[in-house]
Amino acid sequence: MADKQSACATCQPKGLCGGKGLTTLKEGAWANNPLAIQVLGICSALAVTNRLENSLVMGAALIFVCVGSNLIVSLLRKCTPYRIRMIAEVAIIATFVILFDQFLKAFYWDMSKQLGPYVGLIITNCIVMGRAEAFALQNPPILSIVDGIANGIGYAVILAIIGFFRELLGTGEIMGRTIPVFSEWYTPNQIMILAPGAFIALGIVIGIFNAIKGPAPEEKK
Amino acid sequence: MKGNIYTLFYAAVLGTVCAMVLTFAASFTKPYKDANAKAEERKNILLALKISIPEKASSEKLLEIYKDNVQEQQRGSIKTYVYSPSDDNKGAIAMEFAGPGLWGPIKGFLALNPEITKIKGITFYEQEETPGLGGEIVKPTFRDKFVGLMIRDETGKPGIIIKNGGEVAANKVDGISGATMTCDKVQEMLNEAIRSIVEEKQ
Repeated sequence: MADKQSACATCQPKGLCGGKGLTTLKEGAWANNPLAIQVLGICSALAVTNRLENSLVMGAALIFVCVGSNLIVSLLRKCTPYRIRMIAEVAIIATFVILFDQFLKAFYWDMSKQLGPYVGLIITNCIVMGRAEAFALQNPPILSIVDGIANGIGYAVILAIIGFFRELLGTGEIMGRTIPVFSEWYTPNQIMILAPGAFIALGIVIGIFNAIKGPAPEEKK
Repeated sequence: MKGNIYTLFYAAVLGTVCAMVLTFAASFTKPYKDANAKAEERKNILLALKISIPEKASSEKLLEIYKDNVQEQQRGSIKTYVYSPSDDNKGAIAMEFAGPGLWGPIKGFLALNPEITKIKGITFYEQEETPGLGGEIVKPTFRDKFVGLMIRDETGKPGIIIKNGGEVAANKVDGISGATMTCDKVQEMLNEAIRSIVEEKQ
């Protein structure tokens, strides 16, 4: 009896996946945010964030790909030969990325034109591969989906924040529309749209994120 | 050895399944993509010819406007799209131009006045230039600079110049800062198109 009680006190089997779901969600989106903490996938974060709309679509694309590839990798984790697991992961990821690309080309033609090659480049995004390798290979499918959503959101939100400020400061507009008063008064600073602006914005966002979150437990001594 | 055979089998099955999913997706979206491409092309011809089209017009509406206003004519080896309204000042003749950009091919339409001396309008319907830099060539702010541009320099040699700074000329427009490579390539492909239509005329 005492044995059972102590087990319940430590693992708290309630909610999604016996309590692990929420932890996974928090871990992916906040404590271990792929962009701000692990600093992965910054190539696309720098490239497509010059407009808020591009950032949002890119975030959606990454959530879709991350969830899809995590699910499939997790389902196949017990029968995938260890030696070719990475090639198998890339094949699965590439399939999802091209699916999304085809979808954009068919139904969101204008957006597809704007993002150009960057949708296809999600295949090489370190976050997607990292989650498949580090999480989906060891965990059951539902939990892997949660992890995919968490990391996708962690990436998408940061992208949206950077996109918002780069478009606002670089063009004086939001979503391609002028803002009353602000657009007339503000002189757009083109550097925010160019590559250096991306580095500055990303650096500031990562800095603020870490300041709010505080140091990682192992750094506190 | 059993492991090797299993590995090969696994790779083959996974590859086949992925390929099949993608083939299915590609053939499912093909009609939509083709319709998008067709409407996009028609829209660009209309825009280049400065035929007014309603904002957010449907694909059907675009095709209808196109049919009512534009005549396709062969001019030597060049396929041209001629717009000849009752108001003579608005008449224009358009042709396709294409060439390599910085990251991928650039394609568009160039509209000239019926006498082939001035540019009426210009559009790009396919490009993969850097968003925010070279990608700005599709923006009206850049394309409108070409309206009324002479296609010959002072000596009568056909060609235009896209460059920042330098002397002002009747056949020169400002480029985009940060996108010099794209501008150079666009200039080259436009000049090729201009030369070909000027030669065809003679």
